[in-house]
Amino acid sequence: RTRLVAAAAPEQIEEKVAESIKEAEETCSENPVSGECAAAWDEVEELSAAASHARDRKKESDPLESFCKDNPETDECRTYDN
Amino acid sequence: MAVSTVYTTQSFHSTCSISTPSKTHLGFNQKKQILFYNSGKKVTNRGIAAVPYVIRCSGDTLVIGLAADSGCGKSTFMRRLTSVFGGAAEPPKGGNPDSNTLISDTTTVICLDDYHSLDRTGRKEKGVTALDPRANDFDLMYEQVKAMKEGKAVDKPIYNHVTGLLDPPELIKPPKILVIEGLHPMFDQRVRDLLDFSIYLDISNEVKFAWKIQRDMAERGHSLESIKASIEARKPDFEAYIDPQKQYADAVIEVLPTQLIPGDNEGKILRVRLIMKEGVKYFNPVYLFDEGSTISWIPCGRKLTCSYPGIKFTYGPESYFGHEVSVLEMDGQFDRLDELIYVESHLSNLSTKFYGEVTQQMLKHSEFPGSNNGTGLFQTIVGLKIRDLYEQITASKAAAPLQATKA
Repeated sequence: RTRLVAAAAPEQIEEKVAESIKEAEETCSENPVSGECAAAWDEVEELSAAASHARDRKKESDPLESFCKDNPETDECRTYDN
Repeated sequence: MAVSTVYTTQSFHSTCSISTPSKTHLGFNQKKQILFYNSGKKVTNRGIAAVPYVIRCSGDTLVIGLAADSGCGKSTFMRRLTSVFGGAAEPPKGGNPDSNTLISDTTTVICLDDYHSLDRTGRKEKGVTALDPRANDFDLMYEQVKAMKEGKAVDKPIYNHVTGLLDPPELIKPPKILVIEGLHPMFDQRVRDLLDFSIYLDISNEVKFAWKIQRDMAERGHSLESIKASIEARKPDFEAYIDPQKQYADAVIEVLPTQLIPGDNEGKILRVRLIMKEGVKYFNPVYLFDEGSTISWIPCGRKLTCSYPGIKFTYGPESYFGHEVSVLEMDGQFDRLDELIYVESHLSNLSTKFYGEVTQQMLKHSEFPGSNNGTGLFQTIVGLKIRDLYEQITASKAAAPLQATKA
């Protein structure tokens, strides 16, 4: 059985966050009160939020739990209600 | 008059369906029959059910709006809310892995970022933030929320937070409870009028800063300066378009720095205020000891263990944007969550089904952020209030056709 894996790896987003921060700093050095500057920092916020959500999801996954999703019939995974 | 007996879940009308609740946590009793009366040839939906089955027709979806800035704990609130209704909330199976939607047995949560009219590149070119109304398609938001409220499925776009692009739409079926969460659930008047209940999470600047440091400092590239710059750059749009929505909310959860420690700005110990609008139909504000009085209560002592700086509750009537409101405030944090039962037993109008339900819900999710302070407590209480609202509205709708058949 195949299992759906979250599409974007946290590392990938983290790289994007670092890039977007650099870009925002550059954009704002020209004009710190422009719409472009606000939009650039807004992108940073959006990516930071996405990165933090991805990190949470990764943290939550228990190795045994994810194994058992794919292999519920194995000895270590079998559970009976009664 | 023909009498038909229905056993299974099926639709009679395009707009009506009968659902069999699989669990009893909403308080339905399990009976196995519904009678439908045929008047003439047309099957009417005026069937008199013994109300174990919920007959859902157009307009039966309850719509709840949750407004908050990004990174302010919307997702924690959503997880607490869906937990009150039972069952885990999960993304739609087999769809876009970057979908923002969460679906559980009773509740569907959609993220309003999906109604961005401009994608990330578009916003950059035009120099507008996602907070700006120009970056959002309120016409589509209104149409689709209205359609779901009327019991119709919709093809909702997906805004992909990773790529910043608008992905192909996903099909969303009308749930029992639809939660729309995001930056602008109460911005457009047409959408606002569709909401049966609305909540605003109001995080003060000091706390927002502290939370974002916690969230982002581990991130590559982020520094104190970049976090500060990001908050500052978004502030004008936030104050112009997001913050004013709180005046329309039925409940506001305000998160402020503590007053128990003078000069504390760390954002670890919080003063949380639950502001509840008076006179909202089906919503009875929670109170402490005596409804309508002004009370300050320090529960610490022989019955509740508190370490420094302790816990302080305040309750009383206030005015909020010209509305009469009741405000319940908690400053400080719990050391031992199970002792929350002591606090719970002194609060009234909690809409719990049994004694200790608030404490049980909090213990169930003790790992969520905010479980030892007022944010978790008040989010749980609002969750119970929404369940109560849902049950009252469903009951009054079930009673209406019953009276019509009697007459």
